Amino acid sequence: MTDIVVALRKITKTFPGIKANDGVDFELRKGEIHTLLGENGAGKSTLMNIIDGIYQPDSGEIEINGKKVHIKSPSDAMKNGIGMIHQHFMLVDSLTVLENVLLGLTSAGFYVDKKKVAAKITAISDRYNLGIDPFTKIWQLSVGEQQRVEVIKTLFRGAQILILDEPTAVLAPQEVEETFKIYRQMVQEGKSIIFISHKLNEIMDISDRITVLRKGKAIGTVDKDKTSEKDLAKMMVGREILFRLERGPLNRGEKILQVENVKALNDKGLTALNGITFDIYGGEIFGLAGIAGNGQKILSDVIAGLRKSISGSVYIDGKDLTNANPKEIFEQGLSYVPPDRLKVGLVPNLSSSDNAVLRHYNREPISRNTFINYTEVENYTDHLIKNYDIKVPRKDAPVKFLSGGNMQKLLLAREISEKPKLLVVVHPTRGLDIGAMEFIRTVLLRERDNGVAILLISEDLDEIFMISDRIGVIHDGRILDIVDIEQAKVERIGLLMAGLDEKSTQ
Amino acid sequence: MIGLIIGALVIASKGTNPFTAYKALIMGAFGSSYALSETLVTATPLIIISAGLIMVFNMKFWNIGAYGQYIMGAIFSSFFALNSAPTTSPFLLLTMMSIAGIIGGALWALIPALLKLVWEVNEVVTTLLLNYVALFVLKYFMYGPWRDPASHGFPLSKMFSPNAQLPIILNHTRIHFGIVFGIIIVLVIYVIIKKTRFGYENRVIGENNIAANYAGINIFKNTLIAMAVSGGIAGLAGMTQISGVIHMLQLEINPNYGYTAIIVAWLAALNPIAVLVIAILIGGIEAGGYHIQMIMHVPFGIVGVIESSILFALLGGEIFKTYRIDFRRRR
Repeated sequence: MTDIVVALRKITKTFPGIKANDGVDFELRKGEIHTLLGENGAGKSTLMNIIDGIYQPDSGEIEINGKKVHIKSPSDAMKNGIGMIHQHFMLVDSLTVLENVLLGLTSAGFYVDKKKVAAKITAISDRYNLGIDPFTKIWQLSVGEQQRVEVIKTLFRGAQILILDEPTAVLAPQEVEETFKIYRQMVQEGKSIIFISHKLNEIMDISDRITVLRKGKAIGTVDKDKTSEKDLAKMMVGREILFRLERGPLNRGEKILQVENVKALNDKGLTALNGITFDIYGGEIFGLAGIAGNGQKILSDVIAGLRKSISGSVYIDGKDLTNANPKEIFEQGLSYVPPDRLKVGLVPNLSSSDNAVLRHYNREPISRNTFINYTEVENYTDHLIKNYDIKVPRKDAPVKFLSGGNMQKLLLAREISEKPKLLVVVHPTRGLDIGAMEFIRTVLLRERDNGVAILLISEDLDEIFMISDRIGVIHDGRILDIVDIEQAKVERIGLLMAGLDEKSTQ
Repeated sequence: MIGLIIGALVIASKGTNPFTAYKALIMGAFGSSYALSETLVTATPLIIISAGLIMVFNMKFWNIGAYGQYIMGAIFSSFFALNSAPTTSPFLLLTMMSIAGIIGGALWALIPALLKLVWEVNEVVTTLLLNYVALFVLKYFMYGPWRDPASHGFPLSKMFSPNAQLPIILNHTRIHFGIVFGIIIVLVIYVIIKKTRFGYENRVIGENNIAANYAGINIFKNTLIAMAVSGGIAGLAGMTQISGVIHMLQLEINPNYGYTAIIVAWLAALNPIAVLVIAILIGGIEAGGYHIQMIMHVPFGIVGVIESSILFALLGGEIFKTYRIDFRRRR
């Protein structure tokens, strides 16, 4: 048993309203790459943050090298030889690699022998073939190189156990290969790695063992050699039959949204949408399922006009609106509930009333010519608050002080009141309590019965099954398949979400 | 209040009784009809510039460049004052000068606006640096083409002819027509930011660019217009000052009002109506400051100390209003 470097025993961590980890057992052997696999919200990050000392478990024990320990902070974790590399780098852009490595290094003391540190950094870089010069500034490095700086940072502090939180999410395919080489060499030298990912092909490539988490519980740990991508996908999504909310019969109307072969890039200039084609008819809810980061947000932004596509076309109600500006698209009948409530949909520091009229402040009766009639604004806000049961203590207080559920209700109320032909909603219930979730789903179904075409983009498979009429699965910027809800099987959707299409793999 | 206490401490440190000094300051500001009129003369440019600044502060565009816009307004309007026949009708000439002043300030303000919109250059830096450029432009005209040959080498222009001077509206004082401009501008700006679409759109832009774009607001156009208005108003203030008070273009045309106006705008909590009151108070401190300098030999710099202390106290108080200090120990 001496070769177990990290052991977690019955770790439980509860956040208000959710059990993020529920009696999780986990063991990391010396010199292995152990992958944590699970859907978003399965509790992977929480578990790792517990090992790294960012969170304290409610109950359960942590053993490092066979000794029971309490890890109170990341620097505590460092003392135990644990280093975590976060998905979002903790680097200062305008400083050099060397300065970043020294940051927060308490043992450095007042006077720093830069030459010695630089030599050590170069030594680490050479040993693992990282190709990092200690005197380059961070902003001059590519994302992949920045990640390697993070690796150097942890190794410099003497980490023996590395936690990598979705390191490949930000990398281009060729960079992934290089990175994996580095990881393999590190474990050969006796370091141990916990790797977090939900890309099955990568996991099968790099892992020695895999532990699957689902809804906060550890489902099982398997050896790579004794499993397959398919089994893993099943373990990851496998669940009871999902129930569907009551709704009227499907009353398909005209074709409202037509997306043809759309391609688009993400912020880093990598291809995020790789030829998306689908259409949605009035009176139906089209659920787009997929694991985070497979192009959903980019797709919704392209449809709403917030991001340009590089090829392909988007028609709404027969009108070509490819790369039109958001206002034109809105006027053609699109309402949009964006994934980022406080960044795109609402203006956090302005009042609830100001936010309520954001979409049509320039229309009568709220505005006449150049003037805004604030009495009408108040009336309109009252009307939304009443009809959608939004709890707003003071209409003139900044909207950021509302609860998440009430913010979302306000946003949805505003968008639906526009009588849209097409409603695009992204993660409409993320982070909300059960009551608000149900309310929002009911509202969506009501709009469907009113003949609105609805595109529901969600990472919550339960939600998609609950209210959709058709389900499309997006993976790596492509829609792999579209099925009617009656024919949809959870297992198959789960496999598709993980990028496994039996038609293509067999 | 805290500002006044800090000011008192500084005065006391110079060995003067702060209470007598403050009393003298108040007398110098509001104690006589002459003092009061001087206060209003000082308040006039502050009212005008602050109102313009609120226009862009409302959209979180930090125009620190009223100083330079004021100078450019003064230079542009001087062109007409110095190059018109003394027989031109005063109404026509003053209108031309006002428009020229507005254009000068607006053009100067559009430079940082464009730099920000096109290349995302921070407006605080550009507006501030353009102030120095404007000062050099002024120096060029004062030591160059516009220097009055009869000035014995001093950097002064010719005296403006009476038709290029804004009328005095109260006999035996220096209160000039500019204060009427100020009141009108305050009202107009109030209506714009509180009642119009344009004001609403700018508030959204200031808080959240992405949401503004999503709502179909034209960020480019709105920012340009708002900044042109803000700079144009500062330029108009420059025109009223040289036309109404100084009656010539010279090196010392008090562009520092451009900085003081920032303090006024914030003390007024960005409410244009409140600017009227605050500008008169600050104008009083400035006017009274000259007074105590003369009779008590307290340096005029004390005025700056008091003003900035008040601003600090205000900003500090804002923090306490938003956050509370929690004295419980963290566990």
